[in-house]
Amino acid sequence: MNVLKVSRLTIAAFVLPCLIIYVGIVFVPILVSMYSGLLDWNGIGESRFIGFENFKNLFFHDPVFWPSVRRTLMFAVFSMAEIPLALLVAILLKRYIRRPNFLVSSYFLPVILSVVVVGQLWKTIYNPASMGGMLNQVLNAVGLGSWAHEWLTDPSVAMYSLYFVALWQYLGYHTLIQYTGILNVPEEIYEAARIDGAEGFTADRYITFPNVIPIFKISIVLAFIGSLQAFDMVMVMTGGGPAHATDVISTHMYNMSFLSMKYGYGSSIAAFLVVLCLAATFVINLIFNKLEKRFS
Amino acid sequence: MAKMSKWLSLVMAGTLALSLTACGGSKTDEGSASPSTGSGGKTDTAKEKNITITFQNIYPDPTDPKNKLMNKLVKQYESEHPNIKIELDSLNTDQQKLKLKTQAASKEVPDITIVNPAAQMQPFVEAKLLAPLDDMLDQNGLRGTFQDGLLDWYSFDGQTYAVPDGNNIGVVYYNKELFEKGGVKVPTTFEEMIDVVKTLKSKGIQPMAIGEKDTWTGSFLFMNMLLRTNNGAGFLKDVIDKKKTFEDPAFKEAVDAFQNLIQAGAFQEGVTSFDYNAGENLFKTGKAAMYFMGTWATGGIETSSVNGKVGVFKFPTINGKGNPDEFMLAPGSAFAVSADSKHLEETKAFLGWFMLNFPKEAFEAKGAVGIGQKVDGDFKAAGYSDMAMEVLNLFKDVKGGDLAFDNTMNPGTAQAHLTSIQNLFVQKKDSAEVAKEHQAAFEANNK
Repeated sequence: MNVLKVSRLTIAAFVLPCLIIYVGIVFVPILVSMYSGLLDWNGIGESRFIGFENFKNLFFHDPVFWPSVRRTLMFAVFSMAEIPLALLVAILLKRYIRRPNFLVSSYFLPVILSVVVVGQLWKTIYNPASMGGMLNQVLNAVGLGSWAHEWLTDPSVAMYSLYFVALWQYLGYHTLIQYTGILNVPEEIYEAARIDGAEGFTADRYITFPNVIPIFKISIVLAFIGSLQAFDMVMVMTGGGPAHATDVISTHMYNMSFLSMKYGYGSSIAAFLVVLCLAATFVINLIFNKLEKRFS
Repeated sequence: MAKMSKWLSLVMAGTLALSLTACGGSKTDEGSASPSTGSGGKTDTAKEKNITITFQNIYPDPTDPKNKLMNKLVKQYESEHPNIKIELDSLNTDQQKLKLKTQAASKEVPDITIVNPAAQMQPFVEAKLLAPLDDMLDQNGLRGTFQDGLLDWYSFDGQTYAVPDGNNIGVVYYNKELFEKGGVKVPTTFEEMIDVVKTLKSKGIQPMAIGEKDTWTGSFLFMNMLLRTNNGAGFLKDVIDKKKTFEDPAFKEAVDAFQNLIQAGAFQEGVTSFDYNAGENLFKTGKAAMYFMGTWATGGIETSSVNGKVGVFKFPTINGKGNPDEFMLAPGSAFAVSADSKHLEETKAFLGWFMLNFPKEAFEAKGAVGIGQKVDGDFKAAGYSDMAMEVLNLFKDVKGGDLAFDNTMNPGTAQAHLTSIQNLFVQKKDSAEVAKEHQAAFEANNK
């Protein structure tokens, strides 16, 4: 602190306004929401304090909750599994394309499209062939009609259809992040390796990966936290249906709070989600710190 | 060069700041659209304040006769009262239900909003969010314009809190042309209906349409079947009074009948991704032969491409049980006034005037089939279609019926029921299991 030659008091005074705003807008609502989780409240009337009964019902008596947790975690796993693919694309871009800016920008395009737009687009693609759905029509045309499913209404495939759309949207995002990370690796190391006879993917294994780990970690954390909160995509495409087949934690929370008018119960789901996100961040940080120590 | 870049960065920082304020500015504009505060209310002259009344409604479709008459009446009132501006917030039904709930939670209910009868509006009444409208109804004989008994569905503890825009019944619309093409006749029993479905399907005609992404549509149809298998109305009331449970054979029979209809291929592929409008459009563009819906759909069907080809019939008996003169009753969505409105008197004055003129305007705009008020007029002479006359005749046969599930049971139970029914469209389930599911949900939500 003394490096800046400014007293601690001055620093505190400058940081305080923003800190107050941040605490007020982020932390206080989270705490209020956690308190709401202890109430029996329909959102517009009187509330009744019932302690942990909401949580008890949630963990032990709710048939929709644990499957939705499973789907959310699977969503997170799929999102994380996408990052190595993004890294591969970034490596190929750097090695084989001279001016990759155009390609990177076009891969990034789905990211800036509104989720509602992406959702509507894919809903139309996934529609049954009789309603003009592109995917089923193409499958039928090339003779793979047996692979055609009701992508958004068949409970066994609906969730996977949704995973695919989310991964499609964010591939460009992670590719861009990884690409920037790769660019930061100094060229001299690669030249030195080439002299020693290590080229291409061998060089990648020993040079690129270790240096890209911090960036990799950023992507993983972003992907994981983002997928835990996934709401708009699911809501636009299936609404959590049919019959909870595509419900994730956040859509279940929404349905409980606003449709079933059990705001207190919904708040308890929200509290669970917050704790889950925090725990996940902590674990990911731990793992990556160990990895970084090993490689540097 | 350094100076250039300094200037450049200054300009860019300035533009960024400017765009931030522009965004901030437009956001606050959007924000002030919904709350009930009048924006010009500060000019406080003695009598004539400028006030804005927010009028939340469910007529977003400009081809809907009700939308046209609403706009006409609003403009007329505004021209007669230059100090009053009426801001319309038009949404589709499910979106409005949701928006109202969020507004209610933050106590920002619009001056005029829409609520649904009985159990659906009860939470709002209990939370004292709605103003009683009895004084408004006692003026100009407004109360008498409504059909007998209709206002009961919107009254609690002797006070009325909302005035309905309709009083509809559930009927089956059918496309006469497609019926001829498929060589089928109007069914008089449910078993005949299944045969009609199978015949039409074999001829490549979509038998029925439904918009099951909006789960109340399937529930509405299912409850009509329950009305038949129960051999009369009042099943849900019996469950609430603990005289029956959902595991009653009548309920299971209804579930079986419902699944038979679905398994016979009555409904379109991907039915649970079609919302209400998409499902209705399937019928209105001549792509489906039958459509079970409330009579509020009449207006929309008349302005569509299948006008002139559509007839209606009563939902048939199931296994010989049930009375076809008993219908699903759907007292319409109703206009309610926020108890915390900043312009309570002016809002009630407007709403009272609006409802007085509603029947006449609806009659002229050809949207008077199924409104909740008494209408004097020769419908035939006014140019109402044959189908509208058929529907009006059905109204005369009504001997009773049931309200929809979500108007009878509290939201927690209703949601469980709605998703359970939606599930049946996607996979077959044992009716005993469905019954058990319902009973468990009822018990969990009615402790």
